[in-house]
Amino acid sequence: MEIVEFKNITKKFGNIKANDNITLAIKENSVHCIIGENGAGKSTLMKILFGVFKPDDGEIFIRGEKVNFKSSLDAIKLKIGMLHQHFMLIDNFTILENVILGAEKSKNYWIDFLSAKKKLNSIINKYNLKLNIDEYISNLNISEKQKVELLKLLYRDSEIIILDEPTAVLTPIELKEFFNIINNFRQEGKTIILITHKLSEVKEVSDKVSVLRKGRLVYEVNKDNLDISVLSRKIIGDVDAISYTSNVSDLKVSGEELLIVENVNLIENGIHKLKNLNFSLRKYNIMGICGVEGNGQNEIVEVLTGINNKYTGKILPEDRKVSLVPDDRIKKGMIEEMSVSENYFIRQNINNYAYKKLFMNIEKMMIERFDIRVPYIGCRMKYLSGGNQQKAIVAREIILNNDILIFSHPTRGVDIKAMDNIHKEILDEANKGKAILLISSDLDELLSLSDELFIIFKGSFLKSFSKEELNRQIKSDKSRFIEKIGELMMGILK
Amino acid sequence: MKSKFLQNTISISLSLILTLFLTFIILLIIGKNPFEIFYIIYEEVLMSGYGFGQALFKATPLIFCGIGLSFCFNASIFNIGAEGQLNAGTFIIALLLYYLSPLPTIINIIISISVGFIVSAFFGFIPAIIKIKKGVSEVITTIMLNFIILALINYFLINYFAVRETVRTEKIPEFLMLPKFSDYFSFFEGSALNFSFILAIILSIVSYFIIYKTKFGYKIRAIGLNETASKYMGIKVNIVTLITFLIGAGITSLVGLNYVVGYKGYFEFGFSNNLGFTAIAVTLLAKNNPIGIIFSSIMFGILDFGGLAINTIVPKEIMLVIQGLVILSIISIDKLVNIYFEKK
Repeated sequence: MEIVEFKNITKKFGNIKANDNITLAIKENSVHCIIGENGAGKSTLMKILFGVFKPDDGEIFIRGEKVNFKSSLDAIKLKIGMLHQHFMLIDNFTILENVILGAEKSKNYWIDFLSAKKKLNSIINKYNLKLNIDEYISNLNISEKQKVELLKLLYRDSEIIILDEPTAVLTPIELKEFFNIINNFRQEGKTIILITHKLSEVKEVSDKVSVLRKGRLVYEVNKDNLDISVLSRKIIGDVDAISYTSNVSDLKVSGEELLIVENVNLIENGIHKLKNLNFSLRKYNIMGICGVEGNGQNEIVEVLTGINNKYTGKILPEDRKVSLVPDDRIKKGMIEEMSVSENYFIRQNINNYAYKKLFMNIEKMMIERFDIRVPYIGCRMKYLSGGNQQKAIVAREIILNNDILIFSHPTRGVDIKAMDNIHKEILDEANKGKAILLISSDLDELLSLSDELFIIFKGSFLKSFSKEELNRQIKSDKSRFIEKIGELMMGILK
Repeated sequence: MKSKFLQNTISISLSLILTLFLTFIILLIIGKNPFEIFYIIYEEVLMSGYGFGQALFKATPLIFCGIGLSFCFNASIFNIGAEGQLNAGTFIIALLLYYLSPLPTIINIIISISVGFIVSAFFGFIPAIIKIKKGVSEVITTIMLNFIILALINYFLINYFAVRETVRTEKIPEFLMLPKFSDYFSFFEGSALNFSFILAIILSIVSYFIIYKTKFGYKIRAIGLNETASKYMGIKVNIVTLITFLIGAGITSLVGLNYVVGYKGYFEFGFSNNLGFTAIAVTLLAKNNPIGIIFSSIMFGILDFGGLAINTIVPKEIMLVIQGLVILSIISIDKLVNIYFEKK
């Protein structure tokens, strides 16, 4: 029987459809995996189910009845529970105190700890969670904290349990235990919705898998027909058009090295973020780095630009000037409260005074050359549309005229036209003799632009492809090649 | 229309109107005639040379201190320690001017003011370095430093430097004093307004150019607006934060120009009377703009002296109420105006 049904769910944020007409059913007493890339719309869909977001369109049915959640409280009443990516626990409270917080039962105005204890201990025994309820949260490790979060859901008698990327924080051994717990849940009649982007897990626990891409439901499969390579291709999407060819291919091979990275390692908080990186950026070349987010891409950007100097190894030259289009334009890319030209003024290398006329001229030049649409000259950047903001950032970094350019997810969240524009600019810069590093999770972009493609996984390069190899592979069997890259990115293939 | 200037003008004017309205109501509630009271302020402060001079005189230290704070606030450094910083600087300036008076005047002035500036800046250095190295909020450290600095000054003053039976330092020689306005313009007869006011205006204009027209100023504001982006745009956030904190704290020492060099000729314990906190209000009202600080300081100066003028009818503390209302209304109205502009 279907316990949860989504019917034609659409949710928009601005112009972007986070969920686009999704119809999906979840069977009672099963483990249903929802997978997809970052930004595919998984979390949005789950937040709609949990009452955090209201859908713009569509209906939700729980146990066959149409629901209209005003907030999470309504969802909790229907025994839906959600395990969030970030823990919400109070360190100086015990497990018991944390779990009953917000759901305390009282007896004559006093909190009834005794019955709460009884209930908690019986849950812990039932699911074999191995926790001592009088322990303080601050003494627990991450996997134990996660179990406390699960305990909260169980204490509130949740029957539909949403797990939002629960395994990202777990070690392999803890993972095994976690899957056992999930299996126990299923045996006890609970329904589990598991959000993840790790394929290996899907195979291990799921009864059914739904794949989301760019807000749409693109694929569904039952456990019996599950094929990892098909799945990975569905997640990443088919690469259709390779529209760009670069015209200076002989120069590329002989291009001199503008940036050399030797044996770079970065360890932060005990985590090995970058492992033995060796590469160089050459004149006329675009080097692509492809991988699932959070595998060290951000750290590479930070060490190359000098934001993070805690690495070991060598990056030459030491006094390099690097242009950077960062991955998050609002947080990292610009000062929203300043205009396009003021942002340039901060970024450029000369120390001069700020004349209004100078600004006007620079801004006019940028607007014309890069086709940036601004409401008026000198307008603060927060009033530009996302695509134009991104174009302005790209423009700013290009006219800085540094030899080395780093583009990190340069076309994320921009429309097709702006995307095209930005791709052309990147190619132009390469043809002018700049050395370019392109970091992206968009395979289309990487395959069409890169002269060299590196696959990054857990902070080290698993494999690299030269331009010739890329072309050959794409020609011979494109879909198989994309599957292969997908598997490499997910760390299945070594 | 999306101009920042218009937005600020609207939100400041609206909050002044709201303040006026609320003051009216409060005065009515306590059974006074608001028109009478406003008329007295108008007559006594704005229509009399003495009153106007006193208002400007009271505004002068607020301008100095406000400018210092505007550097900090533009970088989102919430320096609550101006009270301590300005006392430290003023104390040192008063002492040095007195003890170095045998030196040639110009050298004496340069040394005294610079050392005073450095001492104030030093008390900005401590919270700055703790913030940078350990991430401790400057709000807490600067508040605590206020107590420490004032206690230290008290100790050194009483035990080593004070004139007997008083809590003040020796008076500096007359030839070091700044000229008074009343010496040149009879209009200001009797008021303590002196040439440090001119210096404050010059400082405001210079600071305006630094903050809004130089690359360093842009960096200061960039950090205040978005620290992460600043880092990614190649600004050395820690260094700029440190320098801004030093400049901001250092400038507060110039309050001494008005009180010591322009008015009394000595440092007296407790002279500042929470000036460092009032200056926070002045700076917020001006939206951290140095030119705006001139006007907001003068407004507070008028209120301050106006309080004395109406003291026979209503307690002068009503002016503190008005100052408080100004801050509350600017904070709340600013939000509303912002929302309105965002929607457009």
